[in-house]
Amino acid sequence: MFKYIIKRIVNYVIMLFVAVSMTYFLASAFMDPRSNYMSRNPHPPIESINRSLDLANINDQTPVVIRYFRWLKGILTQWNWGLSPDQSPVAPAIASRISASLQLVTLATVLSILFGVSIGVYTAIRQYKWQDRVLNTTATFFLVVPAAVMGLMVVLLAINFNNIVGSRAFYVTGLHSYQGSNPVLWVFDYLQHLILPTIVMTIPGMVGYHLTQRTYLLDTMNADYVRTARAKGLTLNAAIRRHALRTSLIPTAVDVAFSIAGVFTGAVITENVFAINGLGMYFTQTIANNDINGAVAVAAFGGVCTLTGALLADIFSAWLDPRIRLS
Amino acid sequence: MMNDNENMVSDAVAQDMELTDPQGSEPQSADAKNAQEASSNDDFHRTGRMQLYVRRFMRRPSAVVGLVVLILLILLAIFGSKFSQWSYDEPDFAALASPPSAQHWLGTTVGGSDMYAMIIRGLGRSLTIGIFSSFGTTIIAALVGTAVAFFEGWFEKVGMWLLDMLLVVPSFLLIALIVGMAAGGSDWLWLAIGLTAFGWVGYARTLRTLTLSLRDREYIRAAKFMGVPSFTIIVRHLVPNLGSVLVINTVLGVIGAVNSETSLSFLGLGIKAPDTSLGTLLNAGQSVVQTSPWVLVFPSVVLIVLTFSVQLIGDGLRDAIDPYSRSGGKAE
Amino acid sequence: MSDERNASNVTTNTNPDTTGAQGMASEPVISVRDLTVSFASEAGTVRAVRGMNFDLYPGKTLGIVGESGSGKSVTSMAIMGLLDKNASVKGSITYHGEELLSKSDLEMSEIRGKGIAMVFQDPLSALTPVFSIGDQIKEALVTHNPKMTEQQIHDRSIELMNLVGIPDPEDRLKSFPHEFSGGMRQRVMIAMAIANDPDVIIADEPTTALDVTIQAQVLEVLRKAQRETGAAVIFITHDLGVIAGVADDIVVMYAGRPVEKADVDSIFDHPAMPYTMGLLGAVPRSDRERNSRLVPIPGSPMNLVNMPKGCPFAPRCPLATDICHTTEPAMEPVPGRPGQFVACHRTQEIVDKGLTFHDVYTVAEAAKSKFAGIPRDERKMVLDVKHMRKTFPLTAGGFLRRKIGEVKAVDDVTLDVREGETVALVGESGSGKSTTLMEIMEFKQPQDGEIEMFGTKLEHKIPREKRRELRSAVQYVFQDPMSSLDPRLPIYDILAEPMKVQHYSKEQIRERIGELMRLVELNPDQVDRFPTQFSGGQRQRIAIARALSVNPKLVLLDEPVSALDVSIQAGVINLLEDLQNKLGVAYLFVAHNLSVVRHISSRVAVMYLGRIVESGDTEDVFEHPLHPYTQALISAVPVPDPKAERTRQRIVLEGEVPSPTETFEGCPFMGRCPLMPKLSAEQQARCRGERPALRPYDTSRPSGHQVACHFA
Repeated sequence: MFKYIIKRIVNYVIMLFVAVSMTYFLASAFMDPRSNYMSRNPHPPIESINRSLDLANINDQTPVVIRYFRWLKGILTQWNWGLSPDQSPVAPAIASRISASLQLVTLATVLSILFGVSIGVYTAIRQYKWQDRVLNTTATFFLVVPAAVMGLMVVLLAINFNNIVGSRAFYVTGLHSYQGSNPVLWVFDYLQHLILPTIVMTIPGMVGYHLTQRTYLLDTMNADYVRTARAKGLTLNAAIRRHALRTSLIPTAVDVAFSIAGVFTGAVITENVFAINGLGMYFTQTIANNDINGAVAVAAFGGVCTLTGALLADIFSAWLDPRIRLS
Repeated sequence: MMNDNENMVSDAVAQDMELTDPQGSEPQSADAKNAQEASSNDDFHRTGRMQLYVRRFMRRPSAVVGLVVLILLILLAIFGSKFSQWSYDEPDFAALASPPSAQHWLGTTVGGSDMYAMIIRGLGRSLTIGIFSSFGTTIIAALVGTAVAFFEGWFEKVGMWLLDMLLVVPSFLLIALIVGMAAGGSDWLWLAIGLTAFGWVGYARTLRTLTLSLRDREYIRAAKFMGVPSFTIIVRHLVPNLGSVLVINTVLGVIGAVNSETSLSFLGLGIKAPDTSLGTLLNAGQSVVQTSPWVLVFPSVVLIVLTFSVQLIGDGLRDAIDPYSRSGGKAE
Repeated sequence: MSDERNASNVTTNTNPDTTGAQGMASEPVISVRDLTVSFASEAGTVRAVRGMNFDLYPGKTLGIVGESGSGKSVTSMAIMGLLDKNASVKGSITYHGEELLSKSDLEMSEIRGKGIAMVFQDPLSALTPVFSIGDQIKEALVTHNPKMTEQQIHDRSIELMNLVGIPDPEDRLKSFPHEFSGGMRQRVMIAMAIANDPDVIIADEPTTALDVTIQAQVLEVLRKAQRETGAAVIFITHDLGVIAGVADDIVVMYAGRPVEKADVDSIFDHPAMPYTMGLLGAVPRSDRERNSRLVPIPGSPMNLVNMPKGCPFAPRCPLATDICHTTEPAMEPVPGRPGQFVACHRTQEIVDKGLTFHDVYTVAEAAKSKFAGIPRDERKMVLDVKHMRKTFPLTAGGFLRRKIGEVKAVDDVTLDVREGETVALVGESGSGKSTTLMEIMEFKQPQDGEIEMFGTKLEHKIPREKRRELRSAVQYVFQDPMSSLDPRLPIYDILAEPMKVQHYSKEQIRERIGELMRLVELNPDQVDRFPTQFSGGQRQRIAIARALSVNPKLVLLDEPVSALDVSIQAGVINLLEDLQNKLGVAYLFVAHNLSVVRHISSRVAVMYLGRIVESGDTEDVFEHPLHPYTQALISAVPVPDPKAERTRQRIVLEGEVPSPTETFEGCPFMGRCPLMPKLSAEQQARCRGERPALRPYDTSRPSGHQVACHFA
């Protein structure tokens, strides 16, 4: 088991290295930091542009292979992920934003799982009854609404609500605005900020878990072993609860494992809609600013999270399913 | 082994009856003369596969509604611009940020562009991108996914490793990079290409898993034993047998592509002015949400109607094609 | 059970109207009256069961026999109250006089598992994969006895495990289902079924998914369970051999209706319904020399949707008259035969004239073989396999797949096939018989040993052209015609595929397909249809036609009839015989069904754990089996003859087939060998230390009977 995990990690490190290197080359090929300076009118002198680009190791006049090895060396020897075009170091910028993303996404993830799985079980047991139909239609509806639309509509409603109430019940930007030192007010203020983005992110997560959990349970509900359990003398509901539900939660647990990692990477759209300075927002900025080092670093961090999720998923399923052995 | 189907009771039995039709219409006697009787004995009730699918699809009101709405949206995208005097790229400087009126049915943007014209244009873009990249994604994923599963051994190992690796690279970034370097005007095409080029990976993995179960089917082995070339087996046997999955996923893939397009354009990384798309309109609407909410509301509604109608069609198709669907009638 | 049976006392009353007349000693445990079950479907209502009637008496075994779709399993599910919600159930089922059909799920749950218990067909999927065996047995106990203490539960579980013969019960309680073999899982199922001493055990095809030696073990356990609990048993099966050995009374079902009921001897001695006669006549027998062709029942089973008027068997019945096509006959007593009931318009005539199977059914004469009269030695060799081995590496999972052992799927196979003959390869699942065929079809030099086809040795480098030629001369037929034909292609394209590979021209293909369809007795006009539009037997004919399309000299058949219903099987077997005789093609036939093997093959090779342990002429091997494994295998096959079953001495093998990953220095069969205890210590040491090679048994005889046993 332990050996298996070590082997997996080694494989993932290699995979990550290849993926990140590939991203570096693609980003270097497609991003043009020089244009940041050239588009200014009048543009700064070429030598000064080159000096700035050289300092950040993103000068397109230096062969990309040389830049790559410099960049790699910086990471491997000093854990230095390079500079943005504005000469600010990338690594601390990312570190500071992870916390914002974490604050934003954790609650939404937990709520999505709790509500989603419960509703999934509830509807599966009532397949084709009106509760199932109503909840299912609602879920399919929310499943397809684009994230941006969902976010903006919630903002619109909240603003109207604020206007009607005549006070700022909900904040639509940022995570904090309270400046005082009263912890109760601080929490209250935090919740006022958090509630809208949490709604926006919980709904799609929740309907996702709802629909998949419903399918998983429906798949196992008709299994032969549920029939065996009924033949032993369990009622239909008891047989489903004890036998089908337990088995159907295994794939859900695997999905959960994957999503744990997603908590750290934040939510690109939601952060942009609510002007929350998290990792997702930072990622969009790096792309817009031709920040090669920044974009690659975010991609690398995302890769680490994805692979951690994959590893967790493996461990979860081996833990829950006696048929699977990690060896 | 003798497998008694009865155990699967009701649905499976009913389903088998339906599709197999083992009615005594094809006699199996020892004498070949009975073979002649068979042709004249053709009067049994038979439901063709397509006919069955259509009937089941049509039985779902939601699916029919979805189909009608989608057809209307497509017609609107094609012919909608004929009804308006305004064009998406001709701002009316006399009416900046004006609310809906007889002149501008859905109002104008801050820059004076007619919202109706913009939405028609954006809808067309979203539909084109969605359909184009959904088809492209399906084709690439089907070929790669089946090939990786079909060729066992090192090809499969390397293929899977590459697919895993591609999943690690954020496709969002790559698409944004490709669109970013596109020259003005052709960015919608590059967006569609980008969505196709990086959108197939996860799907290919799913198809590979499905193919794994097909790979050991006896008709595939039978073809191998006969010496049928590998590529022929993939194209003739594997891909068609994934058919229902492919059809459903192509339809639902449109939603994914439309959503990705919306997200990217909303973030300013997709389609940019002077061209427009529904996502770009959302971006424009975000900053004026308090002053001119119509800029936000109308494209949002169109997007929701578009994606939801496609979803209804997809669900209807799934129910119609999936042999275990329970859309059958009730016992007397 | 057989010792309890008293043939003269018909204990199961099969007609509700005459209950009093029989003078029963006890009340029935279960009475079923006019049971009707129907399901909704796309094409219309499926009438799965119509007018089922029977009484089940304490301690007795009622056999329900029928082919797939006959409604036998649906009947059992109706008794258990386990049918789907969309099923409409009418009539009456009483248990100790209580009506079951009006009970709610909660009320039924008190009876299920306590009064009526059930053993299902497929032990692989019937146990919950994520719970240990101990937990699952515990659940069966606790559900009905919530006050049991942990200690009581544990003791009872161990007791049950011992009863059904699971070794090391203490350890095995903690194991999960996937760690058990199929036979062991079925024992667990039986243990759970008898946990609360039920009055009734319903066994739905309990041994169908098991190998014949394991089947014998499980049937023995079921008998023991019945003795211990005194329960009445409803035994559902399609296997007439199994039913002959276990049942006191039999109900034969066809198309959802009971068509004949009687005690077991009457059914087998003098069936009155043409369908019953046909079923009995269509099965080959392992205990008799083959002397005649099998007689198939014409046509295929009835579609349960939109059933025509009249007797459902009428379209296939040689005795059918006008009334048979218009009115469905009721179940009536057979005149002069007390206790026997039949639903047939022509009973009077059948009884009066004493019609038997041979009078009712006729079969065309077999074609004469091209090679008749040519002794085997003078025929050309088409396939010669010598000491072939095939192992699969057993790897540890993960990225760097490290080899940690090997699975010896085929350990040592030597066999030859000559022109126009049928060589059967028999063995239980896991014996490597299918892998042997797969290896031959690779057309490559085997891992070890050699393969020669038509005098060409398979080597690493065979020219492309040569390999294609070989491919056309060797074709393959799979077990399940449902999955061996691509469901998306019309029959025409399916048949054309091997010919396209062989570069036939379009005209040639067209012409050939017409020929082929007629050859396998199908209508050539149907080539545009899809495989799903044909019945199982017809699909297998199509698969055979495809194999024959390129005029092969050798066809490898992997269990070609085992997925087919009994009444259909005979037709396909006859077809295979005719084709061999007409075309002179040789068959290498893999099967686990020894009755079929005895009927169809001229030579037999018996496989155990990847090795041939005995081979020879079919008659020699069946009449004088030498290897103790062959002896046990043949004796385990149930025979469709209740009298023979009662007196037969069975060699029931202990234990299960060892894993093919194990390495044996001596004889791999040693652990289960019934001969071992009779040997001296010295001889046992030889079995343990020296692996027996396949050797000619009696060099003075030319039959070539070979055996791999030191002391045969």
